[in-house]
Amino acid sequence: MNWINSRKFRNGWLAFVIIFFLAFIILPTIWILSYTFTDWDLIQKYVLDDPAALQLIQDAIVASFEIAGIVVIIDIIFGLPMAWVLVRKEFRGKQFLDTLIDMPLAVPTAALGFSAAIFWAVSKPTAEAPWFAVGGISSPFLLILLLHVVFSYPYMVRSLAAILEQIDQTYETAGQTLGASKLTAARTITLPLFRAGLVTGIILAMARSLSETGGTMIALATMANSKGFQTGPSLIGTLKAGLGTNPDLAAPLAFISILLIALSLVLLVVLKVLVMKVRLPAGRVWPKWEKILSRGITPRLKDGISGVFLIVVVLIPSFFIFAYVFTATASQGDWQTFWDSLFNSFVIAGVVTVVDIFLGIPLALYIARNKKGRLSKVLDVLVNVPLIVPTAALGYSLGVFWAGAPVISAIPFLLVIFAHIAFTYPLVVRNVEGAVEEVDAAYEDTARTLGAKRLQAFRKVLFPMIKASVLAGAIMAFTRSLGETGATIAVAGNSVNTAPVFIVDLINAEQFYMAALTCIVLIMVSFAFMLALRGITRKRRLG
Amino acid sequence: MPSITLKGVRKSYGDIRAADGLDLEVLDGEYLCILGPTGSGKTTMLRTICGLTLPESGAVMLDGTDITRWEPEDRGAVMLSQTYSLFPQMTVAENVLFGPVLKGMPDEEQKHLLADMLDIVRLSSRADALPRELSGGMMQRTALARALASGTEILLLDEPLRALDARLRISLRLELRSLAKDLGLTTIHVTHDQEEALVMADRIAVLRQGRIVQVGTPGEVFDYPVSPFVANFVGQSNFFTGRIESKAGKTIIRLLDGRTVPARACQYPVGEDVVVGVKVGNTDISKEEQGPLQGRIERILFEGKFLFIDIQVQGVGLVSSKVPSWRMGKLNVGDDVNVRWAWEKATVFQMPTRGLAEELRVD
Repeated sequence: MNWINSRKFRNGWLAFVIIFFLAFIILPTIWILSYTFTDWDLIQKYVLDDPAALQLIQDAIVASFEIAGIVVIIDIIFGLPMAWVLVRKEFRGKQFLDTLIDMPLAVPTAALGFSAAIFWAVSKPTAEAPWFAVGGISSPFLLILLLHVVFSYPYMVRSLAAILEQIDQTYETAGQTLGASKLTAARTITLPLFRAGLVTGIILAMARSLSETGGTMIALATMANSKGFQTGPSLIGTLKAGLGTNPDLAAPLAFISILLIALSLVLLVVLKVLVMKVRLPAGRVWPKWEKILSRGITPRLKDGISGVFLIVVVLIPSFFIFAYVFTATASQGDWQTFWDSLFNSFVIAGVVTVVDIFLGIPLALYIARNKKGRLSKVLDVLVNVPLIVPTAALGYSLGVFWAGAPVISAIPFLLVIFAHIAFTYPLVVRNVEGAVEEVDAAYEDTARTLGAKRLQAFRKVLFPMIKASVLAGAIMAFTRSLGETGATIAVAGNSVNTAPVFIVDLINAEQFYMAALTCIVLIMVSFAFMLALRGITRKRRLG
Repeated sequence: MPSITLKGVRKSYGDIRAADGLDLEVLDGEYLCILGPTGSGKTTMLRTICGLTLPESGAVMLDGTDITRWEPEDRGAVMLSQTYSLFPQMTVAENVLFGPVLKGMPDEEQKHLLADMLDIVRLSSRADALPRELSGGMMQRTALARALASGTEILLLDEPLRALDARLRISLRLELRSLAKDLGLTTIHVTHDQEEALVMADRIAVLRQGRIVQVGTPGEVFDYPVSPFVANFVGQSNFFTGRIESKAGKTIIRLLDGRTVPARACQYPVGEDVVVGVKVGNTDISKEEQGPLQGRIERILFEGKFLFIDIQVQGVGLVSSKVPSWRMGKLNVGDDVNVRWAWEKATVFQMPTRGLAEELRVD
């Protein structure tokens, strides 16, 4: 085994991991951008010269970004008080609230889409929405907006809570002893320290909203009349389904993907710069008003409203599907195909997770232990790219990239795995990187001088310390892969039948009852993983 | 038996030269202290020796063998970091046996070794404790036992006493040294605490900006510093600038304002611009006895065993003196005193090319 520890092998292995990362993840993710140079004439012909197609794409993209923008603002308004309550207040049932917040994360977006649509929207009569559903929303824009709030809200609350936990409360206390009211102290002292958490929250929530495909498609298909409304990713899904019979759709597909990818990357940069530069109005104070607002009924009202928001807008729509299966007429469906799809989902998620771990840990180690190196800085930025790029666009881009290698593109199953690796890999790398950074390098160094070879030092000393984060990353990757619709459809159409794709097909075929049951099974499975994740992260916090 | 030699070792991080041509020989069984201010390259030197940092040029030799490119695990030089780096998920016993287990030592032998090691560091009763359950001193001893158990003959200590409280730090000095000496280990101990180095070391190497300024026994480094920097870093000194007036046995230096001060013989010619350095502890003040300089007491700090006194000397500035505290009460702020020293205790240095202030800077 000595060769494993030799310098040559180490450098070779590192080079392999970096090349894998660049060639299998980054390059395929943004490959479609090269079409701007190579196939512009096709885009010109099928999109720019075709006003109808151009209008369709433009509307979808605009809708996507509008929804993402509004969703983020709603998330901040209602997420900030919730994060505050979670971190700063002590009360009975706090643990319970903590779990409630994360619950929507356990529900795959495909299931969420159906659940929320049945609850809010004027749905198709065949869907048999229960009489106690709201059932009043006929605007597809509004419905999708509400849906996106549901699954992006937990990300925002979590990001804000994480940063709030790190901010020392003594600053605020000091402010209060110097004469500031609670609100003034919180606004002028703590909030400005918040920026980093805010950026993370905004980016995560926006990326999730811009990326979401399955839930959106399902919600739209459940509506009685979706008026041809599309978001960018759902349009990719729709067009991809028609690509087999109409090859002319390739150009519009490429064009949307390019727009989505390019705009997301631009947005990422702009947000980072903007939030760091723009100053919150902390200089001015209105002591009298803020004092009044700090006392009496207002703080309670604030907590009450954010609580009601959590229940009505986030939780009930998430789990309405459970109520639905009791009221809808039971019907038999194709259970064999369902179990096959679930099996496929598990195989894909499993393979993806294993690959992520084996190739993600080395990259995370390299980035975390060479923080000052130029290459490491570049890699650190690049890792974010697949996280921010909408998965449907990522999937389409990846499919086009591998079309150049017929051996691979002939196996759609493999393509789906590649696509899922691309957007889950960063989750593992980020988690592990964060954990490694917190471990003093002196541990490994000391182990080495005590006679441990590099691999031994990792296995015996570093790994036990970061195990929880590796597991957390792995479970995140697994559940994300399990719930993914957009990338799967964009890369392989309907040829690879995963559970979320199966649900989309069922909804399109108006087999709503069967779809609901499928959703519930999927929710149960994801929920089990979620609980495991919480158990692990909880232990880590204690240890 | 291990002797370590560094030959022209160089390493820089960006613009910072952490090792700027290090030459050093550490003898077998020697206890050597590396003394230098923060950022002088002490840790880089240790890391180069144990193989965690690869120098850009130069060589590291172990008993005459070039080991510059050897992996750390093959060198048998154990580093003890400031925080001890006890593996938090392992018990004391598991930590101590980390090295032997890696080498595949038979269970029976491991048991004996563990018992021996814990006995040496007096931790036999804490074998099953986790590091976080130990006190600072116990952690330090566990780390030491772990190093010894790995069969090393070279101990590299990176500020090993830094994290301990003052009293423990002082009592552990001798314990650490005698343990290393009894076991015949070659030890390199890095510290920025001059007192620690003076007490513990066979020899001290003073490091500054990636270079070794002086190597010698504690006595040599303290009494015969080679530069104003060493004179001031190892035991604070007073400095007087002037020109050599005469050389007959002792050297007489004429200060800028015309007064003269005595110092021991030097190699510089008459008329040369020089700096005279006198240790604060060798600077005496007296109301009765005459001295070369006169001044007025400006401040008295009570330090327990000593009084630290600042005297304003006309034409020179502040001069400091450390006198036994039994003299408290006899000396008061505002008193006029004579400043004096034995001429054998004053060292003459060439005027530093970049000025005295630059020479004395600690960074």
